[in-house]
Amino acid sequence: MVRIPQFREAGASESYGIVPVWRRLSLLFIFLSAVCGFMVIAGEALTIALDADLSRALSLMLAALPVILWLLIAVLPEFRVERPRRRLIGVAVVSGFTASARGLPLAQAFFVVDQWLPLQSVFQRIVGFTLTVGMLDVGLKFVVLRYLIYPQALRVRSDAVAYALASAIGYSFYLSLELVWRLEPTWNHAAIYVLSSFTIQAAASLYIALGIIESYFADAFPLVLPVNLLVAALIAGLAQALLPGLLSGPLSQAGSADRPLFGLVLLLAASIASVGAAYFLYAYSERREREAYVSHEGADGI
Amino acid sequence: MAFETGRSPAVQITPRQRWSIAFSYMLIVIGLLLGVNQRDSLLNQTSLYSNNTAGISASYPARWLLDESQDNVFRIRDMSHLGFKTTIEVRSLPVGADGAERNLLDHLSLQRSQVFIDYSVLGYDTFRLPDDSQAVSMAYTFVSRHASPFLEGVSSVVNGLDILTIRRGQALVVSFRAESSQYERELQTFYRFIETLEF
Repeated sequence: MVRIPQFREAGASESYGIVPVWRRLSLLFIFLSAVCGFMVIAGEALTIALDADLSRALSLMLAALPVILWLLIAVLPEFRVERPRRRLIGVAVVSGFTASARGLPLAQAFFVVDQWLPLQSVFQRIVGFTLTVGMLDVGLKFVVLRYLIYPQALRVRSDAVAYALASAIGYSFYLSLELVWRLEPTWNHAAIYVLSSFTIQAAASLYIALGIIESYFADAFPLVLPVNLLVAALIAGLAQALLPGLLSGPLSQAGSADRPLFGLVLLLAASIASVGAAYFLYAYSERREREAYVSHEGADGI
Repeated sequence: MAFETGRSPAVQITPRQRWSIAFSYMLIVIGLLLGVNQRDSLLNQTSLYSNNTAGISASYPARWLLDESQDNVFRIRDMSHLGFKTTIEVRSLPVGADGAERNLLDHLSLQRSQVFIDYSVLGYDTFRLPDDSQAVSMAYTFVSRHASPFLEGVSSVVNGLDILTIRRGQALVVSFRAESSQYERELQTFYRFIETLEF
């Protein structure tokens, strides 16, 4: 029996009238990093003492910044194209509710990671965060994507990336909002929290998207999707295990001060590396699929 | 704006994709179970305390801080709490031939009422130790405030429980103190500690 590859339905011509996703994703990262970077540098360079209420309001606005930028950069253009991704907002909202109803309560009350993980060795922290918070976040986002978009809303490969990003936006928005509301950090520290929350969720989601793409469009070996989910959980675990330690300064007689600038540079490097690696894998997979399709057509003499 | 409403012909998933999704769910479930296992093993990990001079040994939570510098035989505290640190304290007191358990508890109460803010005894009861011997317990409460007046913070209401037993002319007082909101949950840790206590 000859298996018709699904690339036929999702070829390059199909992407006509669809918003390109990687450019939008890069713009989102650039604008968010620029705003958060400006806040951090301003906080370090200027000794502005804001009123507590004003600082809190600013921090809460920062928590909403990724959502606002995403609506402007990624969602708004969908209304101007012929074939929009109509479930983007739905995926983001459901992911946010999932974080609120399951993700955070399970991480805080069931896994109680704050009580036992921060005191462990680096290796145990990475494994612990991967198997608890990482697996929880990735699992919940995968379930949302599975039931909302897989396979009914997937037309081209970039759809999976766009919906995974929407899921990361909704999920990280609730985490940032809760953190800013509960800890009441200063506005420059809130900028770091928001950027790190978004970076961790977006980087992990990109690998969920790569797994979905390989599974659906390339009909890959059944273990490819779970391996991608494991990588996504590992990225989330790695970041959550290492970031707090790297953001804190070395302990001295004068105490331990935060290093927001160092944290900012580190986050930017981590986001560039993770998005770059995901894009490389995405482009490689797409090229391989195209080559396979061309050679398949050539062999058939079409 | 033209939305895509109908399903494309490629919408049906293949058996391979079905397996892929099933394996993914299995991975998530197995991963979370491993996480639960790691949490339990690290949360319940214990260290052994042994003091040959006082003739006491016990297993205490490994992540708690051991302190032998006070007048007590030893004290362990959970330093991960932000407010009042949950504490288990073991003291050994010499008693005369006519020393009654209740008298010792009253003596402790008198001492504490001068040190603790708003100290009040909630009640007395009997307590069965792991070797089936009887001990006396005393529940109490007080208010804990930061030691430094320069540290801003809200005072905490603390609940405490003393277990007192007399053996070989010595009284052993095991005190457990935790913030009232944490008390019921942390009590299980105290009971596990008592089960391993040898005196």
